[in-house]
Amino acid sequence: MNQQTVLLVDDEEDIRLVLGIALADMGYKVLSAENGKEGLRLFREEHPPIVITDIKMPDIDGVDLLRTIKEEDPDTEVVMITGHGDMDVAIQSFQQEATDFITKPINVENLEHSLQRVHERILAREKLREYTHSLETMVHRKSKELASLEKALQGGDGGPFAGDVVRRFQRLFDDLPCHVVVMDEELVLTAVNRKFRRDFGDREGELCYHVLKGVETPCTDCAVQATFGSGESQEGEAEITTPDGANHQVLVWTSPVRTAGEAPTHVLTLYTDMAQIQKVQDHLSSLGLMVGSISHSIKGMLTGLDGGMYMLDSGLRKRDDDQVHEGLGVVKEMVGRIRNMVLDVLLFSKDRDLQRVETGVAEFASETAKGIRSLVEEHGIEFSMDCPENAGVFEVDAGLLRTAFVNVLENAVDACLDDREREDHRISFRVRGGEDEVVFEVEDDGVGMDEETRDKMATLFFSSKDRKGTGLGLYITDRTVRQHGGDIAVDSEPGRGTVFTIRIPRKADGGSQAVPPTGPGSAGRNPEHEAEEVHHGQEDPGGRR
Amino acid sequence: MAKKILVVDDEQAVVRYMTTLLEDHGYEVIAATDGAEALEILDESVPDLITLDLQMDKVWGPQFYRKMSKNPALKEVPVIVVSGLARPELAIKKAAAVVGKPFDPDELIRIVRDQIGE
Repeated sequence: MNQQTVLLVDDEEDIRLVLGIALADMGYKVLSAENGKEGLRLFREEHPPIVITDIKMPDIDGVDLLRTIKEEDPDTEVVMITGHGDMDVAIQSFQQEATDFITKPINVENLEHSLQRVHERILAREKLREYTHSLETMVHRKSKELASLEKALQGGDGGPFAGDVVRRFQRLFDDLPCHVVVMDEELVLTAVNRKFRRDFGDREGELCYHVLKGVETPCTDCAVQATFGSGESQEGEAEITTPDGANHQVLVWTSPVRTAGEAPTHVLTLYTDMAQIQKVQDHLSSLGLMVGSISHSIKGMLTGLDGGMYMLDSGLRKRDDDQVHEGLGVVKEMVGRIRNMVLDVLLFSKDRDLQRVETGVAEFASETAKGIRSLVEEHGIEFSMDCPENAGVFEVDAGLLRTAFVNVLENAVDACLDDREREDHRISFRVRGGEDEVVFEVEDDGVGMDEETRDKMATLFFSSKDRKGTGLGLYITDRTVRQHGGDIAVDSEPGRGTVFTIRIPRKADGGSQAVPPTGPGSAGRNPEHEAEEVHHGQEDPGGRR
Repeated sequence: MAKKILVVDDEQAVVRYMTTLLEDHGYEVIAATDGAEALEILDESVPDLITLDLQMDKVWGPQFYRKMSKNPALKEVPVIVVSGLARPELAIKKAAAVVGKPFDPDELIRIVRDQIGE
């Protein structure tokens, strides 16, 4: 298109002349037409970028011409010449996308301004076109790059896990704490992660069900096959066998691996051992049980606390010193109990790993005894600690184990206090050093336990009205002892008293860190009246009453 | 004559609390820390009102209540259950009122007043 061409359409000769000269002076090449029809013909022939046209013309009026021009070449800039009082038409023109209008009598300056506008528009349009074009080019180029990148991912030396891009994910693949594999449609393993390699060996190239189950056919509800079929991620369960012969229930999660829009060529599969999840579930549900069972104790303690505070308040009001003291005493006691409960609950919910350190047995025993001395003195209970100097050492988590023993000792104190038959009581704490283990005995001559109570001790959260604690104390003791690989035995008779016998192996390898499974009503007990062994993974001694 | 209330609860702290609270409001209080002791007291005199905790050793609350209903002299005595059980109203159907633990002391006094006046 010739930028310098202007088509002038006006039925008045004078206008054509004047305008023509003006435009020529401005440097334009001017085409003239004396009516709309002629104008349209010239327009179609020469394709001028700019058209200046009168509105009122005998045959086709300016607006119709405008409309037609715009239909045929919408980028044409059209300027309308309007007479005085052609306002409505002027507005109509704009609606038809005229660029500007100039009024008669034509002022050359106005004409120049109009043309300025015209040029600005042309320029803007050019720029936009250029920009769009370069954008399109860029998108096109990037698309090509992306396509070749995708190809690179697909191709290469076998399987989707080749190529530089993927090495970024290699770390993640390897570091995940579950088994991750990639297999093809034949269920042949093409890639395995570090954990898998450690547990099953380098089994790439073998069939999944050979390696994981040692069988000749795939699982009937194979999640991986389902993924190939549907192209969607799947979840499932399976039973796998590790090389050591152990069976594991696992959760299976799959993810299809493919190029966009196509069917999957491989499936990425994650296996998670359900035992882990089971353990967490168990822990959570026992936490729930515990919260339910201690809620009663909590209510009792809070009521007691309310009581203490009421008595303080009322005592102060009445100026009754005795009542004030009584109230304060109750408040202190209740706050102490609440504190113990909270600490017990925290300890219970933590399931902490042991930190076993070589500890002197005699030193441990005397530290433990120290922890109980003020309590026994307060209640006038005779207490003796008996431990040989040469008891040796053992590898224990002293802090945790001491708490475990203190719980048993406090229990003994409770038993003495509950015994209304006798005035004086005694508790003895004895230590005997064997070759491989250390044996502790806590004996009291308190109220003792009848068979029913001993049976109840087997339940996890036994403590009907353990006012002084949560009932968790002995549960935690049992757990700690078992974590150390030891065990607890109880010998008790109503009216006679009780002996707790706790054995702790000297060396850490005597037991595992993982706490053997236990729970309410778990496993059968030996129903004898005399010494009742509490075995690994079976009962947990609870409260006393 | 001050109205007499029998407080039955095996928690010493709660007994002390309720005794002080009720005495402060002009009631005479006798306390029992288990069902058996409470029944002994009831053999000797009839209180104007009884507050009862449901979860007690040896003689359980509802058992106590049943035994008590058999004594014609005691039938008219209103019983307020004060208990930490989640739904104590399920255990005692004929209680005059049920109060959960921990309770609002003003609320308890209001309920007692409703039953037997000042």
